[in-house]
Amino acid sequence: MKKEFSVLPLLAVLAVVLLILPSCKQNNAKLEYGLSLDQTLRVNLATEPPTLDWNKATDTTSAFIQENIMDGLIGYSFDEGKVGLKPALALEWSSTEENRIWTFKLRKDVKWSDGQPFEPYQVLDGWKRLLDPLTASEYAYFLYGIKNAKAFNEGTLEDFSKVGIKVEGHQIRVELEKPMSYFPYLLTHHSTYPVRVDVVNKFGDSWTEPGNLISLGAYNLKVWDHDKAVVLERNPSYYGEPAKTQNILAYMIEEPSTAINLFDSGRLDILLTLPAGELAALKKRPEYRESPILSLYYYGFNVNKAPTDNLLVRKAIAMAIDKKEITKMLNGGQQPLSGWLPVGLSDHSGEVGLPYDVKKAKELLAQAGFADKEIPKVEISFNSNEDHKRVAENVQAQLKTKLGINVELKNEEWKVYLGTLSTNPSPMYRMGWVADYPDPDNFLNLMTSESENNHTGWVNEKFDKLIKKAVSLSEKQARKDIYTQAQKILIEEDVAVVPLFSSVSHLFVNKRIKNFPVNVMSRFDLKDVVVQ
Amino acid sequence: MNVKRLSKIFSILFGVSFFAVVIGDWVINSTPMALTLFFAFTFFAMIGLFVVEKGLVPYTFKRILGSLVTLFVIASATFFMLRLLPGGPFDKEKTLPPKIKAHIEAKYNLDKSIMWQYGDYMFGLMKGDLGESYKYLGRPVRKIIGECLPASFKLGFYALILSFLIGIPLGVLAAAKHNTWLDQVSMISAISGVALPNFVVAALLVYVFAMQLNWFPPALWSGPLYYVLPVVTLGVRPAAVLARLTRASVLEVISSDYIRTAKAKGLSGKRILFQHVLQNSLIPVLSIAGPLVAGVLAGSFIIEICFAVPGMGKHLVQSVTNRDYPLILALTLLYSTLLVFANLIVDLLYAYFDPRMKLS
Amino acid sequence: MTQSDQVKIKTTKDSAANSLWNDSYIRLKKNRLAIYSFYFICLIILTGILAPLIAPYSFETTHMDDAFKSPGMPYLFGTDGLGRDMLSRLIYGARLSMAVGVITAILSLLFGAIYGGISGWIGGATDGVMMRIVDILYSIPSLVLLILVKVIFDSFHFFENPELRSLVGMLLALSLVGWVTLARVVRGQVLQVKQLTYIEAAQSLGIKGPRILLRHIFPNILGPIIVLLTFQIPSNILAESFLSFIGLGLKPPYSSWGVLASDGWRYMRSYPYLIFFPSLILFLTMLAFNLFGDGLRDAFDPKMKK
Repeated sequence: MKKEFSVLPLLAVLAVVLLILPSCKQNNAKLEYGLSLDQTLRVNLATEPPTLDWNKATDTTSAFIQENIMDGLIGYSFDEGKVGLKPALALEWSSTEENRIWTFKLRKDVKWSDGQPFEPYQVLDGWKRLLDPLTASEYAYFLYGIKNAKAFNEGTLEDFSKVGIKVEGHQIRVELEKPMSYFPYLLTHHSTYPVRVDVVNKFGDSWTEPGNLISLGAYNLKVWDHDKAVVLERNPSYYGEPAKTQNILAYMIEEPSTAINLFDSGRLDILLTLPAGELAALKKRPEYRESPILSLYYYGFNVNKAPTDNLLVRKAIAMAIDKKEITKMLNGGQQPLSGWLPVGLSDHSGEVGLPYDVKKAKELLAQAGFADKEIPKVEISFNSNEDHKRVAENVQAQLKTKLGINVELKNEEWKVYLGTLSTNPSPMYRMGWVADYPDPDNFLNLMTSESENNHTGWVNEKFDKLIKKAVSLSEKQARKDIYTQAQKILIEEDVAVVPLFSSVSHLFVNKRIKNFPVNVMSRFDLKDVVVQ
Repeated sequence: MNVKRLSKIFSILFGVSFFAVVIGDWVINSTPMALTLFFAFTFFAMIGLFVVEKGLVPYTFKRILGSLVTLFVIASATFFMLRLLPGGPFDKEKTLPPKIKAHIEAKYNLDKSIMWQYGDYMFGLMKGDLGESYKYLGRPVRKIIGECLPASFKLGFYALILSFLIGIPLGVLAAAKHNTWLDQVSMISAISGVALPNFVVAALLVYVFAMQLNWFPPALWSGPLYYVLPVVTLGVRPAAVLARLTRASVLEVISSDYIRTAKAKGLSGKRILFQHVLQNSLIPVLSIAGPLVAGVLAGSFIIEICFAVPGMGKHLVQSVTNRDYPLILALTLLYSTLLVFANLIVDLLYAYFDPRMKLS
Repeated sequence: MTQSDQVKIKTTKDSAANSLWNDSYIRLKKNRLAIYSFYFICLIILTGILAPLIAPYSFETTHMDDAFKSPGMPYLFGTDGLGRDMLSRLIYGARLSMAVGVITAILSLLFGAIYGGISGWIGGATDGVMMRIVDILYSIPSLVLLILVKVIFDSFHFFENPELRSLVGMLLALSLVGWVTLARVVRGQVLQVKQLTYIEAAQSLGIKGPRILLRHIFPNILGPIIVLLTFQIPSNILAESFLSFIGLGLKPPYSSWGVLASDGWRYMRSYPYLIFFPSLILFLTMLAFNLFGDGLRDAFDPKMKK
């Protein structure tokens, strides 16, 4: 019996060790995974990347890594705050037949990280894999514009050679179903990056693990310590100018509060998100950076449900909401929107949209026959979230005081809410959109009759036609005019939606970091970042 | 060689390998796999010896069988409960074209009938296949658990050791100085230990020891220094529970007849305390070890989130909101299995240490 | 959590229930700490009940221009990010936290006592099956069970009002998890008391089962159950704060102390007072419940006090 308890003294020794260890000073210059502090940029990804398979990833965390280890045919440039395109794997590109046929001339000097040369057919391999029904990629629809691509993805066409993509020498020729002026933008997206099918076949699902993964970007994947950290290392044989910082160390710290503690104790260089409720205090700090992002926060009307089936009621509600009041209340740098396109987009026009005019709104309500009788209750639904709730409550109060409309709020947990939206949306519902590519089409396409994201039940042939026509045009002003016209139908004439505001991203950047990219697309190309 | 001697050898081996693992982890920041396996082996061999020696084989066998039934019921109930939840795993903010969603659902067999899926899942479970996560594409759930469990396990394990180190001496001290200010102070501090939510304790410790004094990192899990704050935070509650229980148990033994006899015989107070009282009063303390393990498991979710420990905790909460069915199921089963077997082991140890105890 | 706070309960073999209660009361009165704790608990409950009369502001009125005001005048404990008065929110929080603690304890007691009572009284195969179900529920760690149950309650529309839905969901989830312990304890007690001679005597006199259960057995085991309840209430309040922390708690603007503390945790760097006050009141209340519970237990168990 006594023997069993003789471990107690040993435990006491352990306790002493516990007490002594903290006094050994930590060696600050050395980081985890043998990295050295002065050559490493430390960021917080917040979550584990769901996958590094660029054909399959759908989230910003995975994109952050993928955009640094890979290049697409085309890249973004953000010179002087304007979104533009710049050559990447493709040196130059051109189109004929009103943007229906595209050719991309590829670089010849690119090598994958295993030393093999980059070949044009690898682009095709990637696109084929993206479209393959067995891959089950969510972003397969990105290439639906290509001739026969949709049929191939849906399984009705089995022969990939009938899809409108061809390799011609060191060029790729793409034939689209119909004109698409924004097609090059799609090639900046990770889902369209080239893929080494030999590697994928060799390793199966684990081809994205370090050691297996073959890439060609400015960085290579060095470590992926699941649920803990990802380490990227400079690619010495990168075809462009090599990255300025040797390593990227990306942690996965879920709680923003915990991440700020680490930042404050000098263990993190970059915070990509900040806790919204605390912005007022955090904004005052010198490390704070912000940038508008191409996003849209709106309320949709269910045009098949009373009382919002009445155009006059919709219009009255839209005109009675003071968007400035909402953004002031949120106090997170959001910009009020009258039109459908966010501020950072080049085709954004301040002239679109209904004015804020309570008097006119009251008249419209009277016109709709609600001068003396009471308007039925309007239900606003949103997914459970403090900010969405604040917005909804603000709108509720505005409509009550200005128009006497009683608003009922209904919130649901995210997945439940998505289910309700596609089956039976409330008369007014909250939704948002973040740009996949910086083109008005990405936003206006949402509300066409074919779009799965149009939960309003609103259909307008003229609107659909305008959107279709715009993508065949190359001339900028002409396109802008058409988009303005389409927005007027959507927002002013038929009032299917009320845009409320576009958001801002907030970051913390440590003083020792220079050239950290902050842009409207939230693309974090880390090649040029310098650590001091 | 007789069983008694073998068990002694094993306890020594156990003690040595245990400390090799713990110290190895602290000094060189990682434990060789072989050591961990050796540790686990001796641990189970010891328990096996207890079982054989006490003739508990049929009992243990029955308990294990019962546990398997329990786990089967839990798995089935959770499986069907999850399917009742509105919203599917592939409902996204950007609604997917129906064909694409169908491809994905076909890939995970979500288009099949629910009974088919149930059968498939159970069949897989029997083969030890927990399925593939819906959220972390191409990552088998077994692998996720394999990668996250060590951190959670380490955190819980150290916290338990710490709680024994603090809780038991505190309880004995309080009982030995019964009805003095020392008793009052140690009991009030023990009650304080259970009076605050874990995350508030974490906040307090981080503020003082990380942000102000800068002794320890405020979060992460990259080495011994990083372990200190999370382990202490997690250990506070079980330590408090243990202290109160030890005190009560010691007081009970002190007032028992045979101790009074010992005192009457003129044995010194210290000798009585350490030779008789302590040994007998620690046995009931063992009975709390099962619930204690459960408490540590539950507490570790919060701690892992507060300190960004790369463990299982965050997955449990996130997998539910993501409707990642295989991961939720696996985690529920995992935690239940741990609890069920922890209880079994505790009962066996109890039977070993307490000769009066009869298991059947 | 509930399981770790389990206390050892001793049944009394004293059949003279009345004199036992008197003795216990006298013993309890001598324990000053427990009595003060009891007064404190009463004070908190009273605050909760009278919240609308005491609170200087409503718990949901926002004063946007006064967001994040430090403690001082006119907001004694400061304001939160929407300019809501913290003192008022704490006072209303007393109401919610106490409701969560007490109602769930009573619900789980009712269900657990009935279930455990029946199981223990009938015995045999019924007892076996009923206890098997309890064992299964007991095998899932309580927080895992809580999370699963809470998410399920939150997903269905039992009530139109989402805030009410989340409150009722919380109460049901906590009781569903809590009754298991009580059922076990009650069953054990019933089994013990059943053996006593006077119960056998009553049975042989032809008194029916339910009547014996209500009239003779429950009064006898009430002491240990009350003690268990005093420990169940604080652990429910804590469990509620855990759920709030991981985002499954009550929905705003409702705010229990748990919600306030976990919100405060997130703003702790810039506004430390937001975590300080809720934690302090939570701490004092937990302390009071535990001290009072200890006192009660000692009072019911004469062996403990020399």
